[in-house]
Amino acid sequence: MKLFKGSSGIVKLSRGFGRKGYSLPDKPWLVVAWKELLEALRDKRTMINVVLLPMIIMPIVIALPMMMLNPKTVPPKILVVVEDKEAIDLARSIKKLHNESGAYVSITANGGNYANLILNRGIDLIVEILPGFSRNISLGKSGYIIYYYDPYGTRSSVAMSMVQEIIEKYSERILNERLAAVNLSERYIRPIDTIVKQITSTGKVATTSEVMTAMILPMMVGLIAITGAGTFAIDMIAGERERKTIEALFTAPVSRGEILLGKFSALTILSIVSGISTLLSALIGIGLAVTSLVEATSVAHPQISQLIEASKLPYVTAGILITVALGGLTGNAIMVIAASFAKTFKEAQQYVGFLTFILILPMIAIPYAPQSIYSILRILPISSLAMFARDIIVNPGDIMPVTTSLASSIIYLVAFLWLSSKMFGRESVIYG
Amino acid sequence: MIAIETFSLTKKFGSFTAVRDLSFKVKEGIIFGLLGPNGAGKTTTLRMIYGALKPTSGIAKILGVDVAKEPLKAKKLMGILPEDTGIYPRLTAEENLIYFGKLRGMERSTLEMRIDNLLGILKLEKKRYIIADKLSRGQKQKVAFARAILDEPPILLLDEPTLGVDVMSAREIRRLIKEYASSGKTVMLSTHNMWEVEKLCGRIGIISNGQLRYIGSKDELEKLAGEKEFEDVFIRLVRGETIETV
Repeated sequence: MKLFKGSSGIVKLSRGFGRKGYSLPDKPWLVVAWKELLEALRDKRTMINVVLLPMIIMPIVIALPMMMLNPKTVPPKILVVVEDKEAIDLARSIKKLHNESGAYVSITANGGNYANLILNRGIDLIVEILPGFSRNISLGKSGYIIYYYDPYGTRSSVAMSMVQEIIEKYSERILNERLAAVNLSERYIRPIDTIVKQITSTGKVATTSEVMTAMILPMMVGLIAITGAGTFAIDMIAGERERKTIEALFTAPVSRGEILLGKFSALTILSIVSGISTLLSALIGIGLAVTSLVEATSVAHPQISQLIEASKLPYVTAGILITVALGGLTGNAIMVIAASFAKTFKEAQQYVGFLTFILILPMIAIPYAPQSIYSILRILPISSLAMFARDIIVNPGDIMPVTTSLASSIIYLVAFLWLSSKMFGRESVIYG
Repeated sequence: MIAIETFSLTKKFGSFTAVRDLSFKVKEGIIFGLLGPNGAGKTTTLRMIYGALKPTSGIAKILGVDVAKEPLKAKKLMGILPEDTGIYPRLTAEENLIYFGKLRGMERSTLEMRIDNLLGILKLEKKRYIIADKLSRGQKQKVAFARAILDEPPILLLDEPTLGVDVMSAREIRRLIKEYASSGKTVMLSTHNMWEVEKLCGRIGIISNGQLRYIGSKDELEKLAGEKEFEDVFIRLVRGETIETV
């Protein structure tokens, strides 16, 4: 216990790693990487960037809108006002929603102040079955139902779609009975039927989950490239300069190339940790979103494993790991270049913020870009990375697009690394 | 043997000349003080000698090794305390020393022994596991001093070693500098503290406006200036226009 006296929290936890420094081999880049990781461990921003942001916020941001559409998440309250006693069967069908989706359904004969009920009493939807509903139907006319709902409330819209589905089935049953009475089939009133067929480069049918994964994942990879270990990259350059430690570091008998190699090694580890945690949480988010979406639309429930086709999984996993490593390194090299112009961490953040905005645009555009510009996106900086991730998810067997986007990404990475090494050693960077 | 040698060392930042045509030699085993007012070019001179700044022209040599041509070999011969301590605030005192010891290629056992020894001498044992951010200015300066002498290099370059340090710590650092030099090592320090120079340095170089004005022992400089108080000697020599070497 005496050993721990005078120290606290994370310093105690990471002290063992600190003392590992004694047994490091005589490789300066390894020593630099050890020191950078140790500092990152003791930086509060590590928790925010590597754990909090990707693992908690990411699934929430992706899944929350979809989960809110799922009636099981927050069951809506529905009031059925039956002004025609003979329509009680239809009201009871609506009440069954409680068992199917958890919605709270009440049946009453008297309405009251509907506006007050919706705006102040927490009712999401009022279904009013008007007098003469059953008689009109039996006479071959239309029975009337009025929906009262809050156009700004998600639960109101969800409740209405649930009730509409029941009413439509009820209406369809009556229609079929009427058609049968006059010897007509359903096809008579539905002269055109549509069939949807997917055209994919693999020739296989893509599931909703796969489509979402192919759309969101490349964007995520791009974002990781730009933001993954950005804070650490700034800290390792501008932060070192701001804390005035860089001069002491350069007094050590170690080449600047080795120092930079050590810093990049640590950044790559941090990028991979941050990248994988981001991707895993994004996949969880997508899985939750798809499950919620499917539940809300009453389609068969998918498994999270269906997000990526099983046969593609090894390629996709390898591809994602390559992309995260390449993306992390590319992003870090860009951050190092940007941070080299700044005297302080804050100033570097401003440069990097602007740069992030510029670089993030092609990332967001990729899911919406037409196929005709894919070949251009494969050779542009940063977008080549996102395209590589997309190509390997959608069609890993198609060698040409995969190698083009991978080769472009590597060429840009080398160029950015070379530029960052030039910037890192400059006198104006250290003393400017 | 000559420990530190410069030939026409010049450094320009754009149109501003920070150090002009600086040539001097420092023999092994002495404490050489570079004395000058603020902005005189002391730090720039030291930075060129320890290879952090590239001279615009001229040469700096450490034990015969050209700093510009063989920077890593030259740095291996020097222990350096820069103007700012350069202590990593998120590392403990011990980890700061491990980092630089390993970068200087020290073996585990030697490094462990030396860190134990130095923390003891500098009365920092209780601060061993404390992150540097929580150390006082004086304690940080002592850690930085320990870092500079970790592998006992033959030459020690110190930029304002007692600047901003409390009286007790400054006294201790001065004692350590003396001790280090007494073991045959060469120390070069920059300062604007007259008293420090008077007490420590065997040879003194007076620098002003980027130019070396005079070099000599304390007695020689006093004789030259015709003053007894060293502060008066300094003021007189800095204001003097003639460049002479005693």
